[in-house]
Amino acid sequence: MTVLDASGQTRADRPYDPADLSSHAFWRSTAVEREQTFARLRADRPVSWHVPVEDMLMEDPNDQGFWAVTRHADLVECTKRHDDFLSGEGIVMESIPQELLDAGQGFIAMDPPRHTKVRRLLSSAFTPKQIGRINDQIEANARRVVDDIARLGEVDFVHTVARLLPMHNICDMLGIAPKDREHLAHEAQYAGGWNDPELMGDDDPLTRMGESAINIAVLAQKNLDDRRAHPGTDLLSALVAAEVDGEKLSDAEITSFFALLTVAGNDTTRQSLSHGVRALTDFPDQKAWLMADLEARMPSAVEEMVRWASPIMTFRRTAARDCELSGAQITAGDKVVMFYASANWDTEVFDHPERLDLSRSPNPHVSFGGGGIHHCLGNQLARRQISALWRQLLTRLPDLEAVGAPDLAVSTFFHGVNHQTVRFTPEGSS
Amino acid sequence: MRIVLDETRCSSLGLCEAVAPDLFEVGDDGALRILDDNPGQQRRGLVLDAIQACPTGALSLQE
Repeated sequence: MTVLDASGQTRADRPYDPADLSSHAFWRSTAVEREQTFARLRADRPVSWHVPVEDMLMEDPNDQGFWAVTRHADLVECTKRHDDFLSGEGIVMESIPQELLDAGQGFIAMDPPRHTKVRRLLSSAFTPKQIGRINDQIEANARRVVDDIARLGEVDFVHTVARLLPMHNICDMLGIAPKDREHLAHEAQYAGGWNDPELMGDDDPLTRMGESAINIAVLAQKNLDDRRAHPGTDLLSALVAAEVDGEKLSDAEITSFFALLTVAGNDTTRQSLSHGVRALTDFPDQKAWLMADLEARMPSAVEEMVRWASPIMTFRRTAARDCELSGAQITAGDKVVMFYASANWDTEVFDHPERLDLSRSPNPHVSFGGGGIHHCLGNQLARRQISALWRQLLTRLPDLEAVGAPDLAVSTFFHGVNHQTVRFTPEGSS
Repeated sequence: MRIVLDETRCSSLGLCEAVAPDLFEVGDDGALRILDDNPGQQRRGLVLDAIQACPTGALSLQE
């Protein structure tokens, strides 16, 4: 079948934009380097057509490229037009086999009407009131994580802090036993980490992703069986008991939500904390400003740290029909990729986006999404965790700073940090 | 003025509640309730902030 767009071009004939968003080299570079490309695209070609990502996970003869949405306003519009731009065919740039989509992406890759019903069910665990109820637990986890490093003086911040706090909080919500948590958090990384040499080693990406989906599913099933026999107050117990349209959720559905919550709960706040420690070191005046009135200034500081980190760099949609976005003629079936780091640096919206400004207000960053039905469910949880941790760190280890460059993960999806050394005067040493 | 909720759009995220907890409440059943749909002109700014915070555009103001 020949697919013609409104300008009379087939998808195969459509010329590719010369800017590189597809190579390994691009995704191995830093956010500052990538921003140079984004800035050019935002200025001249805000919705541009690109060659497929290098080294795809699978052969996909239909994959002839993707549209890149780089401006803040266009990203917001694309997000809100969920009837035109669907999530059901996958949410990452790369094509992924349907079985893996089903296993791991839960309702994030669902479209209405089912999305609406299932999403509301899960929302009830993440409302301001619910998160408020577990706030003591979030504070206690932050305190415990800092207790464990406070006398050490120098640690890998990612390994000992940023990785553990979100892991404990999401596992508390799901009711996961302490002994299973490290395993689960490790497996969750494969959902977006297939390009990272440190994570992947010699493993074949698609094979390892499949194994990770199975490992997470096995742990989910074990916990599901347990909750059926011994219901508790955790989110999994609620999902086991819940009904949508008069029917219980299937084990496969609950397992897929479990996988999504595991990934989204572990691999996002981790990046906000890790990029945050580097940012506060690079902008000491901002750190001093925050410390001068910690409680009052924390809310705006958290927003800016989340903007700065842009923990998820891309989400993909697939065009449901021929349509237009900011002047680009999009054909049904085209991949449309939104670039969050680019939108968070859009000078049409942010004054001097390259400066960390913890007092920035308003701060309409898109790190939790550009609005619409897929907006981050865990945004309140993330905000509480980030403020809880920084309250601990800035009062107990006030001279903590990042030492040396961060060791960045390679991904088209997570803006990950694998390692970041930090140094501080040990607590109680003076 | 009156705050109007479009239940077909609401995803129960509670961002309105985070802005104005005495006007909005997502219950434990996941449904949003408007606690006071006519809070008066002096709170108009807060109401507009809460409406603006909704990512799905489920809230509006009827004059």
